[in-house]
Amino acid sequence: MIAFQNVSKHYDNNIVLKDISFSVQKAEMAFITGPSGAGKSTILKLMYMEERPDEGDIVIGDFHLASLKASKIPFFRRGIGIVFQDFKLIDNLTVIDNVALSLRIRGVSEKEVKTLAFTALKKVHLRHKADNFPKSLSGGEQQRVVIARAIVAEPFLVLADEPTGNLDSNTALDIMKVFRGINISGTTVIIATHNRELFRYTGKRVLKLDGGNLIGEEVG
Amino acid sequence: MALEYSFRSAFQSLWREKWINMLSMFTVFSGLLIISLISFFLYNFEVIANRLPERFSIIVYLNEKLSGEEINNVIDTLKKRQDVLSLKYISKDEALKEIKKVLRDSSHILEGLSENPLSSSVEIKLKKDYVTSSAVRQISGEIRMMSGVEDVQSGERIAEAIHLFKRSLQNISIIILAIISSGVIFVSYSTVKILFFRRKEEIDILKLLGATKGFIRAPFIIEGSVIGLIGGGLAAAGILGFYFAVTYRLSVYIPLFKMLILPQEILILLPLTGIMLGIIGSAIAIGRLKP
Ligand SMILES: Nc1ncnc2c1ncn2[C@@H]1O[C@H](COP(=O)(O)OP(=O)(O)OP(=O)(O)O)[C@@H](O)[C@H]1O
Ligand SMILES: [Mg+2]
Repeated sequence: MIAFQNVSKHYDNNIVLKDISFSVQKAEMAFITGPSGAGKSTILKLMYMEERPDEGDIVIGDFHLASLKASKIPFFRRGIGIVFQDFKLIDNLTVIDNVALSLRIRGVSEKEVKTLAFTALKKVHLRHKADNFPKSLSGGEQQRVVIARAIVAEPFLVLADEPTGNLDSNTALDIMKVFRGINISGTTVIIATHNRELFRYTGKRVLKLDGGNLIGEEVG
Repeated sequence: MALEYSFRSAFQSLWREKWINMLSMFTVFSGLLIISLISFFLYNFEVIANRLPERFSIIVYLNEKLSGEEINNVIDTLKKRQDVLSLKYISKDEALKEIKKVLRDSSHILEGLSENPLSSSVEIKLKKDYVTSSAVRQISGEIRMMSGVEDVQSGERIAEAIHLFKRSLQNISIIILAIISSGVIFVSYSTVKILFFRRKEEIDILKLLGATKGFIRAPFIIEGSVIGLIGGGLAAAGILGFYFAVTYRLSVYIPLFKMLILPQEILILLPLTGIMLGIIGSAIAIGRLKP
């Protein structure tokens, strides 16, 4: 359901991804790992179309990204929940409104918005921070708000970029439970991380990336 | 619909950026107020100037020795002229009566006169198109040549002055309007652009979360129309206040001001123009949103 075919990407004179091909099955949970600068975030950005490949084809579900019309991009993105490495929370919205934004963008009725947003916040143990503003939260708390925003609208695909980067190992394992939970209910989950702890003993597929090359695969 | 969110977001931003928003409102307000003041004067001058030709008249003094029949002949000839709108014969006696009426209590001045010293006259009103100094000069010249006509009095100077004044007033107003309009457009554009850049990050996030252009634009458009509505509403209040001050207060000293007219449409037109400016301003500043 997700397929990269001979994808290359460069920034300026820096080649970031070299002829990458892989696929991830529907309802699979997969990891992308590799050292800093390997190109993990770039792969995710290509998937949700923040960046475009120089060469190669990308297919996400029913969407062939190369031929996707600009006017269809918002609707394509609504099928995806993204945990950005740099969070991308909106500072002047409260925590609950940041989470609710995902729902409002998708046209969910106001009646349901609050309930759904609170449920998602509860999953990341942040219900009590609902009315705070992101700036008043710790890094780990902000990261959990981003995760709540990514899963609240029940997307068919979740892309998580270093989702536990700011969390202690206990909280990290707790968040991994959340991802495993939505994966069991049928959501495809792709997690980019350099933290081996996250996929150890999971039995999930791990794509190994280095210097823009896909250097192999292992099972966690 | 996400309409509730759009409104909430717009009003939150109105409050958060209150200073810059007040600046935009003030810009719209002062721009529209100045423009409507100029239009107000232009409009009223036009109304008054259009009425002046009706009041403007040529007086033809007739020779004293003319018989009744000869007088009728002169009147008939004048009536046939294509430039004459209407005319009125004023006999010697009527002229005297007029004067007595004007003098009222002081009419004893006239008591020593054994004979009516006034001459009979014809007052001509010209058609509107002929109230220019050259036309008036030519017409009075022609009439002066007629037999039985003693003298012709015309206000060609006045006609010329009216004409000139009207033209220069129009030119000046157009220049002022152009300067002010471009100022208003520039300031509105810059303020919305500033607001847009301040929220650029937020807009980029919204796009990545799957928001449509409409969803992103809606709060800006609402914000722009509120600013425009308030600015335009204040301008309407301003011109109304100015109008009442001038017609009620100043007209005590300068009665002419009582004649000024404020077209009521302007009170609706100003807020609407404000809203339109606001919407156009935000639309231009947001520009084409790339996916
Ligand atoms: N917008 C950009 N412009 C120029 N170069 C970029 C840009 N984004 C990423 N790069 C470069 O691309 C390479 C891969 O970046 P990427 O963010 O994909 O790495 P990563 O594997 O996610 O690293 P990390 O673990 O530190 O997040 C890096 O060398 C980075 O400098
Ligand atoms: Mg990264």
